[in-house]
Amino acid sequence: MTRDFTYLLLPHVWSARNRLRRREPGDLTRAAIFGGIGLVVFVALFEGAAWLTTQLSSYAELGDYLLRIGLSWLFLTFLSFLTFSGVVTALSTFFLADDLRLLLAAPIATRRLFHARLLRTVGQASWMVVIFLAPVLMGVGWARCTSPWFYAAAMVFTVGPFAVIPVAAGTAVTLLLVNTFPARRARDLLMLMGLLFAASLVVLLRFIRPEQLLRVESLPDLTGFFATLQSPIAPLLPSFWAGETLFSALRGERDLVHAAALWTTALASVVLLRAAGERWYFSGYSRSQEASKARFNRLRLLDAAVHALPMSPVRRQLLIKDVKIFLRDVAQWSQLLLLLALVLVYLYNFRVLDLERIPYMSVFVKNAYAFVNLGMAGFVMATVAVRFVFPAVSAEGEAFWIVRTAPISLQDFLWSKFWTGLIPVFVLTEGLTVVANQFLGVDPFLKVLAAVAIAFMSVALVGLALGLGARYPRFGADASQAAGSYGGVAFMIQAVLYVIVMIALLGWPSSAYLLRQVRHQPVSLAQQVLMTLCFSGAVALSLTIWMASMRSGVRALERMSE
Amino acid sequence: MIALEHLVKQYGTFTAVDDVNLEVAPGEIHGFLGPNGAGKTTTLRMIAGLLKPTSGRIIVNRHDLAAEPEAAKASLGFIPDRPFIYEKLTAGEFLRFHAGLFGIDGNGVGTRVREMLELFELGRWEHELVEAFSHGMKQRLVMGAAFLHRPQAVVVDEPMVGLDPRGARLIKDVFRRMSQRGVAILMSTHTLEVAQEMCDRISIILKGRIIACGTVQELRDLAGGGDAHLTEVFLKLTGGSGLQEVDEFV
Repeated sequence: MTRDFTYLLLPHVWSARNRLRRREPGDLTRAAIFGGIGLVVFVALFEGAAWLTTQLSSYAELGDYLLRIGLSWLFLTFLSFLTFSGVVTALSTFFLADDLRLLLAAPIATRRLFHARLLRTVGQASWMVVIFLAPVLMGVGWARCTSPWFYAAAMVFTVGPFAVIPVAAGTAVTLLLVNTFPARRARDLLMLMGLLFAASLVVLLRFIRPEQLLRVESLPDLTGFFATLQSPIAPLLPSFWAGETLFSALRGERDLVHAAALWTTALASVVLLRAAGERWYFSGYSRSQEASKARFNRLRLLDAAVHALPMSPVRRQLLIKDVKIFLRDVAQWSQLLLLLALVLVYLYNFRVLDLERIPYMSVFVKNAYAFVNLGMAGFVMATVAVRFVFPAVSAEGEAFWIVRTAPISLQDFLWSKFWTGLIPVFVLTEGLTVVANQFLGVDPFLKVLAAVAIAFMSVALVGLALGLGARYPRFGADASQAAGSYGGVAFMIQAVLYVIVMIALLGWPSSAYLLRQVRHQPVSLAQQVLMTLCFSGAVALSLTIWMASMRSGVRALERMSE
Repeated sequence: MIALEHLVKQYGTFTAVDDVNLEVAPGEIHGFLGPNGAGKTTTLRMIAGLLKPTSGRIIVNRHDLAAEPEAAKASLGFIPDRPFIYEKLTAGEFLRFHAGLFGIDGNGVGTRVREMLELFELGRWEHELVEAFSHGMKQRLVMGAAFLHRPQAVVVDEPMVGLDPRGARLIKDVFRRMSQRGVAILMSTHTLEVAQEMCDRISIILKGRIIACGTVQELRDLAGGGDAHLTEVFLKLTGGSGLQEVDEFV
């Protein structure tokens, strides 16, 4: 009973050790894939940050100024991310985690449990930020030829307390909300937080208005632009303190005032949060244990709509079940909302992109952007598919026996999943592409080409996701864990390769055609044949991936009973 | 000893546990029966410290759970109906960690862990991951954890679910031995044969209220059933068998 609070983290350490000792098939491949991707991202971030810093260095004081603002902006972005992440993670670690049933029945002081959970929350909520920041800050430091002091300041003295403050604030928000809201809605808080985060993201981007940089006539207002750039950087925010501390370290100085502000605030937030936890944690936990109320428990409209569709009773019931489960799962909803917010920001960027101001290049740039847009839609599609379509078979979980013992062919089952996944993915990405191309004002030929390409890409990627999801199911895992599994990573790699090949197959003939059109030259017969081959190749590739993946998925499901 | 005084648990306007009073004396095995949704698990989870009562008091071995939660929990063993076990730990690691939670430290831990594993017939599985265990094995492991720290009171929710006949007999023997040593056991179960065979006294809870409490014979008398089987007594007290409807639906 007197042991240190870190004792409560031991099961996670032991579990990780056991996982390493008892490797499962595919673990090494997974580690190699993840490690390889991680290394590439690390190098890219390092190189990118170093290059940008070197470029800024050539502008002397202005460069310094921009670097200083850039660091504050970087931390400001992470501040909002970490706060949101803290809210969501704390809900899970402090209130919904399964092991709490074991720990709370044991004679552990609330303070010990609190410290262990907070440490876990900070770790879980911030590891991604730390991993991202490490190469960026190292790149910045390397470009400025700073001493090792910079790296120490970056990773230990700055990022550590900086991560604690927003996560502690997020945890406090969760503690407050769990104790305030009707307990049955505890999980629904995720959705609320998702909305708030999405809204704050949009507002944040509106603050910068980066499109102003493209306007030549706005150059006299450059000072105004910098003022706008600086406006959200409040000196009272921890992101400002972190930025200033690091900037001083870059110059070989020590900004003890801001470093002290970071550390004392981090410590104060832990102490205050602990006091609040001792007072309200157990009542909040107790409330969160009540069964969650069914959301959308009627959905008569859905029932009526699905019954009107011409499909077999089996597929109809599978569809109704999938849609209802999706609508009632707040975690799914909140992620989709976030994605929608990002899509809105993406479309907004196209709306404000004023390419007419580059007169000689506008046609070329617009049409090039159409392919960038197609690629972006492909990646959005792959992301949505890996998160929502790939786990569709795994999501059956322990209830999969119902399907397997029912008089339903596994082919029917997988195809039902296919149509359920295809429609939202297609509508989202087709809408995204059509609207973005409309905003850009691209050539009508490209508009049609992109719209048709998206249709083929949708069936191919949804088929690929389902096929791999059926081959590598994770019945015990939740959707996000399934998406991050070996099969999910394999899907992402194949999906990205497919999108790249598609863009290459469509890009060359389209640009050749447009070039001839601009020059008022006829397309030669040889070029026509090549273009047809490219377009046919794209269609054939998409259909092959679609059908082969679905067949292999059905075969994998059938093999489960062998 | 376990004592519940005017225990109430409300979820919004719904009262799950309504003014429950109960006492389980040292050495007594007390059955806690009731239909699904009657409030059994809610009551047991409040005693284990997993749910906060809306009002009322819980005393475990002379410690008020609200005022001295650590002392109360230290003398209590809890076996939930759906236990949590870290799947990636071995049986031995799980018990060692559990021992640490209850402040059992030092050289004696290893011996005690092996004793529990042998008692619950899991000795040869000590170094196997829990994820490979069957439901019955997990159930026995959780019981091993609950008895590891030599509790003076035990709260157990549905102990026989998923156990084979050998495992069920083992658990019954362990409970009997524990009660002979003065441990108070409060046991919720739907297996009425087990309750009839093992319990010194039985409480029946319905819609959050205790509607009957006594020995099996006292309950029979209350139901006016002479020497009827406990199942008949239970159905009478909790309101009809519903069997008349079976023919209509089957």
